[in-house]
Amino acid sequence: MALNPWLLIVIWGIILLILTGPMITLPIFWSRRKPDQFRDMPFESGQVPQGEARKRIVMQYYPYLLMFLVFDVVGMFLFAWGMSFTTIPTGDSLLVLLFLFLLGAPLGYALKMALDRENW
Amino acid sequence: MVNLPTTPTDIIPFIIAIVTSHTFITLVIFPGFIHLTIVVMFLTWYERKLLARIQLRIGPLYAGGPGGILQPIADGVKLIFKEIMIPYKAEKPLFLGIPLALVFLGALPFAVIPFGQHWVIADLDVGLVFIFAVASLFPSMILIFAWASNSKYPFLGGLRSLFQQVAYEIPMWISALSVVMLAGSLNLVQIVDAQHKIWFIGPAFLSFIVFFIATMAELERLPFDLPSAEPELVAGWFTESSGAVFMVIFLALYMKLYLMSSLITVLFLGGWWGPTFLPQPVWFILKTLVVATAIIIPRGVYARLRVDLLIKVGWTRLLIIALVNVFITVVLVSTGMLPGLGL
Amino acid sequence: MDLSVPPDITFVVLTTITLLAAIMALQAKELIYGAISLGISFIGIAGFFVSLDAPYLGMLQIAVYVGAVVVLILFTIMLVRREEVDKDETGETGESAAGLWLAGLLAVSIAGIAALAGPNLPTTPPEANLPISQLGAVLAGAYPVPLIILALLLSAALLGALVLAKVDR
Repeated sequence: MALNPWLLIVIWGIILLILTGPMITLPIFWSRRKPDQFRDMPFESGQVPQGEARKRIVMQYYPYLLMFLVFDVVGMFLFAWGMSFTTIPTGDSLLVLLFLFLLGAPLGYALKMALDRENW
Repeated sequence: MVNLPTTPTDIIPFIIAIVTSHTFITLVIFPGFIHLTIVVMFLTWYERKLLARIQLRIGPLYAGGPGGILQPIADGVKLIFKEIMIPYKAEKPLFLGIPLALVFLGALPFAVIPFGQHWVIADLDVGLVFIFAVASLFPSMILIFAWASNSKYPFLGGLRSLFQQVAYEIPMWISALSVVMLAGSLNLVQIVDAQHKIWFIGPAFLSFIVFFIATMAELERLPFDLPSAEPELVAGWFTESSGAVFMVIFLALYMKLYLMSSLITVLFLGGWWGPTFLPQPVWFILKTLVVATAIIIPRGVYARLRVDLLIKVGWTRLLIIALVNVFITVVLVSTGMLPGLGL
Repeated sequence: MDLSVPPDITFVVLTTITLLAAIMALQAKELIYGAISLGISFIGIAGFFVSLDAPYLGMLQIAVYVGAVVVLILFTIMLVRREEVDKDETGETGESAAGLWLAGLLAVSIAGIAALAGPNLPTTPPEANLPISQLGAVLAGAYPVPLIILALLLSAALLGALVLAKVDR
């Protein structure tokens, strides 16, 4: 039966959910449910936790997130090109290489700004 | 094709026809769910034994059979019955739901990985990009889980894990681009088919190295272990998980290890091609185990790298190498320096 | 309107998921749940792309939107302090009545357009006329100028975002 591969993926996903769902939903019913102040304290190697837990955000890697976004898009376009690379004329491939090359200078400048920790 | 049952006596042949159909076998048995759970449990035992031998220990020994082979089952049973402790003011639905999503997304791409010429669940034309898309969902889920456990160690570990995985995903996929260029397709079955003369590790050796290093960083294995650094952050982003939550996260990590190892086998090591005295899926699993061994061994050998150096190296050195590699592959393929490879 | 054709189940499921997730993204009290619902609605849109014979675009949607944009949104949400978020203005100025009226107006307009133009629309979906292997060929061959403009646009976006986010000490 030559089913649509996406349908098979959906069926596989449903099978996974059915068979891995009980792995976490059943133990929720088995485990003790009364909340206890001492057991539910966040773990800090024995100290009493103080201060808010989510306070300190590391901002020094934020430019890498922006670069990830841009290069994710670039990567997807390159995959589209790479598929048909051997069948298209050389001029078109040079165009895509120009596309990549035009992003080289901003990449360099972005890396320079990202490495300079004073900016963040 | 099967006939739908019209009378009650037709139901048994209908069920038998469904159960023995190729689709059902691939979905459930091989390379489906049963094979996946068995191999992932085996991988947990295998890693503990291998690391133990490297560290001059013995590893699991007593849990039934030779060499404690039933240890993963013992661990699973123990962890299921332990109490799930939810930290004070943690987000309960996220804390319990995200591990399930992690293991679901770790096992979902197995639908497109071919274990043999016909042993693939779904022969998808955009298979490689599908795996790319699913793999890019992991960092956000780890960040949400780390945020949901209202505690400092997991939060810092989750942030580090996010930045590390995000840093190494781009070099990973740009180096996989060379394989796509050599094979001319995103369909994983066709990529393996294109390697019947020579495995892509030959022409695309630099890609293999970059992909391998980036995989080790994605899987958070030593020497890229800082998000779950044991002496530093207790256990990193899954510090607060206990009991079944921990078991599910643990399974998700090993599922990802198996997934990435089989992806390396498909992309670079020729998939199921091998001398015909063994069936094709056996070759595939053997090669995947070799790759998994190569990923596990550095954990017992190397020291840990500092996380900011790691992220810096990922973005400056590895990305540049991956981009230069694209140019190199373009030159190699277009000037015909790879004759006789059927390319 | 031809009511004898049964609705396509893929379309119904995807629409339900996408719209419910989008509504939850707007209405969630905790912003993190809003961001997750936004991610789910993006996945629903990717499902639409896949069901419309554009699987590559669907995968691009998941990889870029759910993989990167939602991460940025989450990061921003975690930067905002909680006490600034919990100030929730519960407007009693008839918001829900206005919303329902506008939604009803939209539904009536769409139904009117569908009834007037519906009989002239084709009932079979068009054939997919671009196999995926030709996607790159068409992109590089027939659209060179948009490709270069895209490179410049991405560079401008990246550098602009970095310059805006940087701290001037």
